[in-house]
Amino acid sequence: MRRSPARLVIALSVAAALAVFVLYTSIAGAGTPQIQPKDLAQHTGVVLLVGKVVSTGGDSHSPGGMRFVLRDVKTDSGARARVVYHGTVPDPYRVGREVVVTGTLRHGVFVAQDGSLTTKCPSKYAPAKSKT
Amino acid sequence: MTLGLVLGGVLALIAVLFVARPFLREPAPASDRLDEPGELERRRLELVEERDRALAALKELEFDHRTAKVNDEDYRSLVGPLRRRAAEALQALEPRAEARHERIRSKH
Amino acid sequence: MPQLGRAALLLSLGLVAYALIAGSIAAWKRRRRLAISAQNALLASFLSTAIAAGVLWSALARRDFSFVYVSEHISRKLPLGYALAAFWGGQEGSLLLWLLILTGYAALAVWLNRSNRELIAWVVPVLAGVAGFFAFMLCFVSSPFATAPAPADGAGMVPSLQNPYMLAHPPLLYLGYVGLTIPFAFAMGALLSRRTDERWIVATRRWTLAAWTFLGVGQLLGAHWAYVEIGWGGYYAWDPVENAALMPWLAATAFLHSVMIQEKRGMLKVWNMVLVALAFNLSIFGTFLTRSGVVNSIHSFSQSPLGGWFLGFIAVCIVFSVSLIYLRLPMLRARTKLESLVSREATFLYNNLLLVAFCLTILWGVTYPLLTEALRGETRSVSKPYYNFFLHSFGLPLLLLMGIGPLIAWRRASLRALGRMFLIPFGVGAVTGVALIAAGFGSSPPGLLAYTFSAFVLASIVLEFVRGRRATGSIVRLVGRNRRRYGGYLVHAAIVLLAIGVAGSSSYQTVREKGLKPGQAMTVAGYKLTYVSLGSKQEANALATRATVDVSRGGSHVTTLHPGKNTYPVEKMTSNEVSIYHDPRNLGDVFLIADQIDPGSNTLFLKALVKPLVNLIWAAGFLFVFGALVAMWPDAVEQRRLADRYAPGAVAA
Repeated sequence: MRRSPARLVIALSVAAALAVFVLYTSIAGAGTPQIQPKDLAQHTGVVLLVGKVVSTGGDSHSPGGMRFVLRDVKTDSGARARVVYHGTVPDPYRVGREVVVTGTLRHGVFVAQDGSLTTKCPSKYAPAKSKT
Repeated sequence: MTLGLVLGGVLALIAVLFVARPFLREPAPASDRLDEPGELERRRLELVEERDRALAALKELEFDHRTAKVNDEDYRSLVGPLRRRAAEALQALEPRAEARHERIRSKH
Repeated sequence: MPQLGRAALLLSLGLVAYALIAGSIAAWKRRRRLAISAQNALLASFLSTAIAAGVLWSALARRDFSFVYVSEHISRKLPLGYALAAFWGGQEGSLLLWLLILTGYAALAVWLNRSNRELIAWVVPVLAGVAGFFAFMLCFVSSPFATAPAPADGAGMVPSLQNPYMLAHPPLLYLGYVGLTIPFAFAMGALLSRRTDERWIVATRRWTLAAWTFLGVGQLLGAHWAYVEIGWGGYYAWDPVENAALMPWLAATAFLHSVMIQEKRGMLKVWNMVLVALAFNLSIFGTFLTRSGVVNSIHSFSQSPLGGWFLGFIAVCIVFSVSLIYLRLPMLRARTKLESLVSREATFLYNNLLLVAFCLTILWGVTYPLLTEALRGETRSVSKPYYNFFLHSFGLPLLLLMGIGPLIAWRRASLRALGRMFLIPFGVGAVTGVALIAAGFGSSPPGLLAYTFSAFVLASIVLEFVRGRRATGSIVRLVGRNRRRYGGYLVHAAIVLLAIGVAGSSSYQTVREKGLKPGQAMTVAGYKLTYVSLGSKQEANALATRATVDVSRGGSHVTTLHPGKNTYPVEKMTSNEVSIYHDPRNLGDVFLIADQIDPGSNTLFLKALVKPLVNLIWAAGFLFVFGALVAMWPDAVEQRRLADRYAPGAVAA
């Protein structure tokens, strides 16, 4: 072949990769919103709720589930999200920790997907923290 | 407290001396030029790399042929051009090799 | 003593600043003594950084709590090994580790090329520039030598970090990340000095391979750590911090392959420059992601002022690399062209495209939350389904290519020759595929494809060794004379084992959860798990609660496992202590997590995962390192040839 097919190959491959990508994002939807309790009321559908645990109670393995309350992470707007959760509770979980949980708001209560609770590891790289 | 600063000062002094060393060793050198490959040298490098590439390709072709990855037909069609390329590269280097030996001999 | 540390870091900053400025002038104006002076400055910067590191290590060993860093990361009772490892347990210390390794590598590179000042004339300022950023951060933004009145005891180290992984994983990862700076510096150096030869590739080939190996092993260790210590049942969560290391590794993999094409055919010069710059910039981006807290991550840290500085530095590096490559484009024109779409060069090209495409989709996924926040005010994120889709879309063809590549000849392969080469591996793959479908593995199409392709690739690799041995007489001689090729095949075999392990443990795993009272049992994938009893034991710094679970299979007892939890009163934390049984029959694991223990009723909520073939992943790690060592092993014949090539007296790194 006189003319190098390399450019054609590259162009076709890039087009193919892009096509795969666009196809996927259009079918699977563009990501899940990540919100804090103050924005919860405006969202229907599945969201990732990020918040700080204010209070907790109940057993995540019982039919009633574990029930906990979240507030905004940085500045407290006063908004509270009541969450009901079933499934594994990660070790670092406790009052005061920042958690992320996936679910949907139903009748004023955030119903979490089973096992979707994650807690952030205690900060390694934070600036000077006090001993609690 | 002061020990730390004194050690730091000593360290800094050693560092400065080390950094200044080339100038202290050769206050008035014959040549302070950082030689870079001239046109001739660049051309030679190109040719040497070309030669090595051709020779390596030949070696790999032989190996692929011995391990039956390349059949006789393909081997015959590929080996000719490769051998020619290698020969050309070797030839192109010949006069330069002479010139290089001259330069090295004159340096010593 | 902190003054010595601060002074040493300031000295490092001064030295690399000098190396940057003096080195640039020396390279530009061709001044020999100034160039040597700049190189000496780089060498000295390693020494001063090492002294700063020594100060911090000594403070950690002495439990000198007047150092804020020491009081924040260790306690008096912490064993010495972990106290020393706390060096890289925090922001400032890990920055210092980065600078230490960087100046160390730079000094080594200068030392190895000391009889060839010309080659590294521009490499020195580039290395100095990168080191300068980190030194600046350490001196003025994030110093490890801040002091305060010493408290009685330190804050201690988080229990999940107190294990041997903490000693090995971060340093290995850094040796990898930082190592990518060297080929970048040599590449930019070659562009700056307008050199069109391949010397920079020859000089950095082993550096790149070593950095790539360190990065790969570091990631595997991290995955193993997550698997056995954190114990959520998996080893990779597509967390931004994990992706931060995967992206440069993928770019470096692409670079390792395409650089071979430049060496053999003189093609892809521009592409290689782009790849090495991409790998380097991704390594800096990776550490930015890990430290700055900008992306929501399970390892996440609070928003730190460092983020802005790092972003600025990355922007400078990108502008620098792109402009330089653009300006030197005419110089990088290739002389040869791709002759055939069916050749080894072409498969390398496809491999590169797939690797870079995968790398970019991960990059998109990681930055998606940042972009949506900036552009729409609302943060959206993607998760496992997104990454898995692209892992399958790009990873499976990559797997297949690993088997095809070795069977194709360079330049041009006739279809007839291909047909002959492919027959056996294709046959093996097809038979495996059919057998697996018959055995019921069709439940997961990606898993089935992964297994089938793996069989194909392994067959083609084995055949390569068989054919090679027939040609040379012995395996040792074969490998000895063709280290790069056969070392590469070994590494490919390791990746295949990894793929099989990943496919088995994800596509074909079984998970069951059940609440059990003592005496009750549950079955999962042919294993019967009987909850026997619950017990507690007071250990050194924790209360260990363990459930005794009998594991049997087909009626006969196999083992007894003890999943449970540790409660640490001082740190007020609980940790999950999983219990794993490695089943030699299927190289898989029975993985038990005591999800919840109810001490009142002795009820145990047990989560059991059966993960077939997962141990292949860790075994692959050993083969990976072995293969890389073989590929890296110096070849006396080749060294001599290269030495002759680059003028008498030259030393190739």
